[in-house]
Amino acid sequence: MAMRVLVVDDEEDYRLIIKDVLGGAGYDVRTAEHGEAGLEVAKEFSPEVILVDWMMPRMDGETFVQTLRRDASKRDIPIIMLTVKQTAEDELEALHFGVDDFIIKPFQAEDLLARLRALARRSGS
Amino acid sequence: MTLRTKLTLSVTALFAASLGILGYSLVRLETGYMTAESAREAQLIKNTVGRMARDALVQRDDLLLLSYIKFQREQSPALEFVSVEWHDGDRVRRHHIGERKTSRSEMDRTLRIEDPTDAKRKVVLTIGIDENVLGAAVRVQIARLQRDLARLFGIALLIGIVFSDWFARKITRPLAALSEVAGQIGRGKLGVRLEWDSKDEIGELVAGFNHMSVRLEELDAMKKDFVSAVTHELRSPLGAIESFLNLMEAKMDGGAPRDPAQFRTYFDRIKANVSRLSGFINDLLDVAKIERGKMECSLRPIRIQAVAGDVVQFFEAKAKEQGVTLQSRLDAATAPVHGDPERLRQVFVNLISNALKFTPRGGTIWVQGEQFREEGARWLEVSVVDTGKGMDQADMGRLFKKFEQGKNSATRVAGHHGTGLGLVIVKSIVEAHGGKVSVKSQVGKGTQFLFNVKMV
Repeated sequence: MAMRVLVVDDEEDYRLIIKDVLGGAGYDVRTAEHGEAGLEVAKEFSPEVILVDWMMPRMDGETFVQTLRRDASKRDIPIIMLTVKQTAEDELEALHFGVDDFIIKPFQAEDLLARLRALARRSGS
Repeated sequence: MTLRTKLTLSVTALFAASLGILGYSLVRLETGYMTAESAREAQLIKNTVGRMARDALVQRDDLLLLSYIKFQREQSPALEFVSVEWHDGDRVRRHHIGERKTSRSEMDRTLRIEDPTDAKRKVVLTIGIDENVLGAAVRVQIARLQRDLARLFGIALLIGIVFSDWFARKITRPLAALSEVAGQIGRGKLGVRLEWDSKDEIGELVAGFNHMSVRLEELDAMKKDFVSAVTHELRSPLGAIESFLNLMEAKMDGGAPRDPAQFRTYFDRIKANVSRLSGFINDLLDVAKIERGKMECSLRPIRIQAVAGDVVQFFEAKAKEQGVTLQSRLDAATAPVHGDPERLRQVFVNLISNALKFTPRGGTIWVQGEQFREEGARWLEVSVVDTGKGMDQADMGRLFKKFEQGKNSATRVAGHHGTGLGLVIVKSIVEAHGGKVSVKSQVGKGTQFLFNVKMV
């Protein structure tokens, strides 16, 4: 059973790259182009891991994460933030509002896959 | 020598000089007065002796005269000697009272006194007055005056030094504080301020200095923002290109793509990112030209409607794909304008591509023109109008600044990479044409960018 991953990013390039990289590694990937759409997809897709961008139109990554963390049925889904923000303060802020890991864009495919595996191992699935 | 020492020394020197001049004039004045006084005294002695001689002559008693003179010598120590020639008919008697001391400075005065009743009887007196004795009192007085003045001078000088040191410290203290703060700025601590509240030139200097410090901090922050924006703008497409190339490498079997359609997509994305990169670098070069003041346009009479038409045609396919109507409503009969067609093309490309980014499906974008007269010249006001999402005041204020676009995430557009360099370039080109750029916008209604070009 392939692991379900939801990718929420406003940039088409990143959606395509992550989808194909993860798809090639055997993950079941769905994408959304902003937070609002991401919440919709999350309802029926019930992802096991979520990759989310920070700065997006309509609903940004921070609001998206906070909304999920308030939802009893989805608060335990591991979330990795993928962003161009790159300072230590940014990472700390993201960890504070509820992400589990932080990857700076542009990223290496191997890095993303390794972190996903580690996250899957820790969450016991 | 420190500024403080210099100030102290010069103020003290000024003080001493004015005191010196004052003292010198005082001594001169006093000396003159005293000299007149001693001359008067000498005259008095002479008159007294003359008077005595006259009395003695009338009384025909030369001994009385000698006795008078002796008495007078006791009264006036300055009266050094008197020689008396007593003429009585043919007889002459000579007396000398006192001694002539030739080594001293003396004033000899000769008096000739005759008996008014008998011309044969007369006295010839030679009076020697010792000026040194006469002036002794004067010299004592002047010496005392000089001593008093010197004492006064000393006290005043002391006060002067204390005052000038206080004054110098008052002036140099803010300077020392300023140089301390300047040192901090030099060591990279930008934005530090000096609290100094005075309503004089120093206060102005400190205010100017603080302004400079804050401005430096802003410039430094701008530089950092600029560098990080440029880095991001270069890294982002490069990272995407690298990722797509890695994907292509992974999805090939013996040099041939497993899924040609997927490869086509990757190829298109790589191409789009490459053109985004080269577009950005061209914009950067233009901005560098602008910063050096080298945005040059070679103006000649051109048909601006042709330039606008070309650009509209260039974007037509993209507009259709987005479901947006794009058209030029410039009159084909519009008279020529003074313009650089390449640069004006750049203006239209920037304005129309911006409008396309912010106009949703079903919207309309058009170019229009209106002629007006100002200061005897004919102008064409060209505008690019859209029925897009519009902007608020805050967004409009940021429009023509580098890398400001996209800071407001509420107006960010999905998948749109804006550097904000485009409008900086547009503004500079239009200004090189002698015109001005302006913008009118309403949230939810649309936006209108206007610029002027001079008509032939």
